[in-house]
Amino acid sequence: MAFLDNSGDIILDAVLTDTGRFRLAKGDGTFKIAKFALGDDEINYGLFEGSHPSGSAFYDLQILRSPVLEAFTNNGSSMKSKLITITRNNLLFLPTIELNESLGENKKHTSDTFVVAANTTAENDIENNVDGFLAGVTPSLRSSFIRIDQGLDTDQISPTIDLDSDLVETQYNVQIDNRLGKIIGINEEVIEPSFIDDDQIATYFFTDSDNGFVNNITTDGTTGQEQVGQVITGPRGTKLHFKIRSTAELQTSDYLFNTLGTSGNAIAGTGGNSYKMIDTFVRVQGIKTGASMDIPVRFIKRSA
Amino acid sequence: MAEIFKPFTSDDIASTRTLLHESIPLTGTIVSGTYADSNIKNYSHGMFQSVYDFPFLSSSSNHIFDITCGYSSTSVLSSSSNLQNDKKIAIYNQMAQVLAGHDVSGNIRQFDADGNLSDGEKHKNVFFLNFSRLLSKDEIKKGTFSMTVMTGAYDSPEDNGNMAVIADTGADTSFKVNSPAGEYGILKRGETNVGLLYYQAGVAVLTASIMESAVVGSKFAVLGDGVSGSLTGSTIQTCANGFRHHLKNISFNNTTELNSTIYFCRVNHNEYNYSANPTYVNNGKIVVKNNTFDNPVSYITTVGLYSADNELLAVAKLSEPLKKDPTNEMILRVRLDY
Repeated sequence: MAFLDNSGDIILDAVLTDTGRFRLAKGDGTFKIAKFALGDDEINYGLFEGSHPSGSAFYDLQILRSPVLEAFTNNGSSMKSKLITITRNNLLFLPTIELNESLGENKKHTSDTFVVAANTTAENDIENNVDGFLAGVTPSLRSSFIRIDQGLDTDQISPTIDLDSDLVETQYNVQIDNRLGKIIGINEEVIEPSFIDDDQIATYFFTDSDNGFVNNITTDGTTGQEQVGQVITGPRGTKLHFKIRSTAELQTSDYLFNTLGTSGNAIAGTGGNSYKMIDTFVRVQGIKTGASMDIPVRFIKRSA
Repeated sequence: MAEIFKPFTSDDIASTRTLLHESIPLTGTIVSGTYADSNIKNYSHGMFQSVYDFPFLSSSSNHIFDITCGYSSTSVLSSSSNLQNDKKIAIYNQMAQVLAGHDVSGNIRQFDADGNLSDGEKHKNVFFLNFSRLLSKDEIKKGTFSMTVMTGAYDSPEDNGNMAVIADTGADTSFKVNSPAGEYGILKRGETNVGLLYYQAGVAVLTASIMESAVVGSKFAVLGDGVSGSLTGSTIQTCANGFRHHLKNISFNNTTELNSTIYFCRVNHNEYNYSANPTYVNNGKIVVKNNTFDNPVSYITTVGLYSADNELLAVAKLSEPLKKDPTNEMILRVRLDY
């Protein structure tokens, strides 16, 4: 009689993240584990050799040999890519989220970032018809905003076909350093972050009922026009759009620029002035599909 | 419906309590000899002496225990002419009120030899060994404590050859609970009660008479004949020196109480077979599938435990990637220790 295979039952030791310890120390009942998710941060699926000449046992040999890192205790550094539950097994394409830069008002700056002018002097410096600038003090000064589209980015399926409802992303998390900026709607709708963690990372939670932020993508069904203004080439789900307002601290103080940033920088499209700047990013993640993206953002400031 | 989180039900969470034990051997050469007393810290207040496992000026040294001594004000040794008489009484009373408590009238109880507080012999002249939390952890394991005391002269303590072995024999099944400081056992030499061991407090109380009776005509400490002479005519520091030089070894097991919550992460066959890893798709197509009939597959390396508002509170890692596809299901037991 052979031994039973007990490999399906695995005991793992968990470590608290800094946010876990922070909440535990607060003692206000916010430390309550309610759910779990699975991650595969270390896996490079590009190593999967689906046509390995030695057979299927060798398809994932390199993946299974991937070394796994110990746990990061910084809550923002773990579980960047999550596994997804979709009960159907016959999917060949998965939805992704992509930055939509198809229109001028959505384009990044030539520095490959979205540049947020953190004070009025910097706002006034911005030349007309230059892409990728957001006005951090008076957002209405610029029509620019950040847009993320979701759907199947494949030319194998027509974009005029509806995305299956179970693949449509309806909830997004947006994270930004709360010391630097706040997320607002494209019509300057103000929304409070769901929470701010111990590292001052603010998380905003948006659903498809937040019309100022999440909307269905409308595809022009006219033949030949399906891709106009679009970045997802296949069936489309929802889009998330928002602006960034600089914090009062950035507007009034140079402390964070001196601490986290650099000075003496030339920014294209601002008249050749010299700026202090901080590079950071805004992380967008779909709650249902787990797809995520880091959007580079640069805060700039010039003394009056 | 695509999902990345799976909520726990009440059946998925279990709490356990585990007692971990470590063996703690302390040799007499560390206590006196190896470091020529550079691991012994004395204080200007003179109330006790600290023993380290390495010269205490080194940052890598660890405090292992303190030694002090005292006597009751009702002891025959108590006399205003004694050296540090007030301090010795103060030490006794301080330790007694913490470990033995007060009677109904508010008077500090004396250490009782057999644990029966209502009557019987009292330990009035005692040495205290206060073990550091580093060694005793949550408590000393009952029935594991043993110490050997040499009973020869100060400079050649082993000459006598008459070792006194003191232990809490049988305390694992017979211990006392009438102390405000937790459970305690009786320390015995043979059948004679010679002290008390407070398990949670990590304090051994030893009657000084164990030395007195063993030392025949030899000097216990630098000053005075026998331990009574030392207790009356020497400082606490000198008495502590004498005690150290007669200590051959101490051993016990400590106990760490580990409270754990186990989260059963149940992964069914149709769950977590896809990934949001950016490398999982190429031009929208899943790279681990060649056609729609192929099973999806993913590889688990991490389990994240989340709050209801999606904050990552704890992380567990697997030692190697774990393959997940629709043909298998698993339970990942994630243990969080407190």
